[in-house]
This record gives sequence, structure tokens and C-alpha cells, in this order.
Amino acid sequence: MGYFKEFFSGIYNLLLGLKTTAKYLPERAVTLQYPKEKWPMPERSRGIVVLLSDPDTGELNCTACLLCQKACPVAAITITQAKNETTNKRYPKTFEVNNTICCFCGLCEEACNFDAIKLTGLYEFATFDKESLIFQKEKLQELGRNVKYEKKRKSVAKKPAAKSETTETKPQSAAPSDPPKGEEA
Amino acid sequence: MLELTGIIQWVGGIVTSISNSLGLPQIIIDIILILLIAVAIFAFLMLMALYLIWMERKVSGHIQDRLGPMMTGWHGWAQTIADALKLLQKEDIIVANADRKVHYWAPIVVFTACFAVYAVIPFGKGMLAADVNIGILYILSITTFTTLSLLMAGWASNNKYALLGGMRSASQIISYEVPLTLSILGVVMMAGTLSMGKFVELQGPYIWKWYVWPQFIGFCIYLIASTAELNRTPFDLPEAEQELVAGFNIEYSGMKFAMFFLAEFLNMFTVGAVTTTLFLGGWNPPLPALAFIPSWVWFLGKSLFIVFVIMWFKWTYPRLRVDHLLSFAWKVLLPISFINIILTAIGITIF
Repeated sequence: MGYFKEFFSGIYNLLLGLKTTAKYLPERAVTLQYPKEKWPMPERSRGIVVLLSDPDTGELNCTACLLCQKACPVAAITITQAKNETTNKRYPKTFEVNNTICCFCGLCEEACNFDAIKLTGLYEFATFDKESLIFQKEKLQELGRNVKYEKKRKSVAKKPAAKSETTETKPQSAAPSDPPKGEEA
Repeated sequence: MLELTGIIQWVGGIVTSISNSLGLPQIIIDIILILLIAVAIFAFLMLMALYLIWMERKVSGHIQDRLGPMMTGWHGWAQTIADALKLLQKEDIIVANADRKVHYWAPIVVFTACFAVYAVIPFGKGMLAADVNIGILYILSITTFTTLSLLMAGWASNNKYALLGGMRSASQIISYEVPLTLSILGVVMMAGTLSMGKFVELQGPYIWKWYVWPQFIGFCIYLIASTAELNRTPFDLPEAEQELVAGFNIEYSGMKFAMFFLAEFLNMFTVGAVTTTLFLGGWNPPLPALAFIPSWVWFLGKSLFIVFVIMWFKWTYPRLRVDHLLSFAWKVLLPISFINIILTAIGITIF
């Protein structure tokens, strides 16, 4: 009798298996056709480093304070300082990010007080030679041109009205990010 | 009229009239016609094999919630053509100490065997190349050539894995040939003929007269045993990727490998076609009212459905162990097919 019991339970289980696979057959595939479709990258994703510009003037936010260069644990950032004689402002003469050694830790972004440097969701930078992975200032600025960012900087001299708005709304969001900065410094 | 009978007769008429005007003897006209039919079937089968591979990849993909090939053309329709072109360009490697002649002939034997079967398969109304009176016997004997070629390939490759694959294939097919033949015997007893054309005629365009209902056990056994003969999962021990790397075809490359691959899929379509002819009414529509759809469409549809079921098996069941495989054949399939024959005999005597 055990033979027949095993036989029929076997048939039942085989049919159960077929039912399971048949259930998955008409379901939508979860595949993302990668080069054609892409995941939307989260805002805080840590991809390649870019330099941010002021959306109004189109100039770099960077003041060449070298904080990011000091914060970088793998020394991927190299900055040469320069001073604009007319406006008496510092600016980076050269800004070099070596992406071959960058570890995408985001410490440079946390160290920056001027919304000048940010890690973005960009990640497609495969090339055939290492040299082209060392990004210069112009390239970094070009990549960061359309990157949206949240203004953390408190003292914007040009727009008093905008300044008061930002100071009212931003302290909550800016406050938690302040203590880590202090620790690192 | 979408039936292809007219076209076949038209081509035949043209060939005959041209040959007559040239004053060729009758035997040459016959040879030309036979060659034309063979080339037509060959072209159809090549196309079929290419698209069965595509279908397999699509079915497996969608069962696993993937998409399968998508890049070459609309939903990857040209993927297999691209693969075949790639294989054509590859070097034909023959390993050292291989039995060169046997190594060379193995893919040719498997390909010829699976192509020769189609001489007796009725593709549609008036589309039977040769209505021999022992059709099904011919199919059973020709399909066993596959085993021979796998054994040849395994032996000639001078490779342990290949030899093991060939040996497994031989033992498996010897075991499963018995229930397969016995399951067909039930249909043969009911029809009282061995001719493939007669099977279709006897079943007719009435779904309740098809042999799948009285011979349901035989149908199931035939499907299982032929899956085993095809060396497909869950009976794919001859080419078990995990244990034997790729089994018998491990030392083949380029177009010879492609021939094994195409032959595997053609054999799958053969099983679909034979199952359709024996159990599912061949090219007949299920109801006489549905006869406006051409007969070859019904034949193809039913055959492809059976092929789909075999693919479905592949992506559902894991591989059996060797001893389980053989004990399943001898302890389960064989007694049931004997019971089926006895029941059929009783049924024939009563009704």
C-alpha cells in the first residue's frame, strides 16, 4: 500500500511544482535593462565627487579652504589655492580628484562648509586608461552643473532676504551635521 | 485558402511540366520532387530549431522572472542567428588522441537521425512526405540513433566526462525505450495500424475522439519517457553540467557543437510532433467548425504546446539521481504501462 501512497503523493507534488512555475511565468520580469533603463539614484548616494556652482552666478562655491583635502583619508584631492586680486576672494587654481584612489567615503562633503563639494549618484566612468580618471577642476565643475543641493552655508553676502529665509528653515537640518564636523576637525 | 496543399501541388506541377518539356525520364522527375520536399522540410526544421532555442530561453527567463534575450532585434528574435554565426566562425577543435573518424561522424549521425524522422510526420492536410505503413515503428527505430551518436561522441572525445555522459545516455535510453514503446502500443492497439497518416485520419476533427482521453495513462508515460529520451531535465544526466561539465559534447566546438545543440531541440520538436499525431489528433482541429484555421497551424500549435510543456518540466524539476532514474523506469513506468496495455485490451474487447 505504501507504494501507491508514495505514487499518488509523488504525482501531487510534481503537479504542485508545475503550478508554482506556471504562476511565475506570466508575472512581470524584475529585470532592469541596464544601459537603457537605470535606477534613479538616491539624493545622498555616494558616487563620484563633483564641484558645485552657484546656480545664479555659475561660479564655483569653492573657496579653496583645503578642508576637504585634509579630510580625505586617501589623499585623493589636490588643491592649489589662488586669490582673486579684484574681489579679494580665494578660489581653487587647480582642483584635482584622483578617482582611482577615491574610496567614496563622503568625508570631503561633510568637511566642506561652503556647499562646494558633493558626492553624486553618477557612477558610469569606466575608461581604458587610468589617466582619464583623474578629474580636473573644469570637468568636476561641468559634472556638478546640474546637481541639486541643499544650501547649508549661512552667510551669503549678496542676498540678505534669501539669507534670512535659509537661516529660519535650515538650522534643524544643518544642526545634526555640525557635531561630526567638529569631531573630524 | 491558407492550406499549403495547393502550393505543393502547384510547385509539383511546375517541376513536372518543365521536366516533361525537357524530356527527362520519370525517375529524375521523382528525384527532383523528393529533393525539393526534403529541402523544404530541412529549411523549415532549421528555422524551427533556431526559434525553439529562442523559445526555450524566453520561457526559462520568464519562469524565473527574467526577460531572456532582449538585445538583438525585437525581444531578441535574432539572438540564435547571431549565436549560430558566432559558432560558424569558431575553430573546429579535435582533441589529441581522439578517435578522429568517430568524433567527426557523431554530430552527423545525430543530425541525420533527427532529420530522417520527419519523412513520416504529417505536417498538415496532404503534407506527409512518405506515408509508410510502419510509420511509428520507423520513428522509434530512427530516434534511437541519437543514443548511438551520443555514445560515439562520448567514446571518441578521449575524455572521462564525455565517456561517462555517453554511457549514462545509453543506459538511460535502454531503460526508457521500454515504457515508451509500451505506451505507444496502447494507441497502436486502438487504431489497429502503424501508419502515421492513419492515426490522424482515425482521430478526426472531434476532440472527444482523440486518443489522449482513452489513452491518458499512455500519454503521460509517453511524455515522461520521451523527456528522458531527449536527455532533458529532470533526466539530463548525460549532460549534467554540475557533475560532468557538459557531458558528451564537452570536447566539441564550433559548428559540430551547434549540430548537437540543434539536434537536441529538433528532437524535442519531434516528440511534440509524434505526441500530436498519436494522441492529440494530428493536424485536425478540435471541432469541425474550427477547420477554417489551416491544418498546419493546428499541427504546429499542438506540437509547440507539447514542446512548451517539456520546457516547463525543465525549469520546474531538479535532476534525478542515477539509481532513482533507473528504478523509476523499471518500478513505476513499466508496471503502469503494462497495466495500461491490459486495460486497453479489455476496453477493446468490451466495446
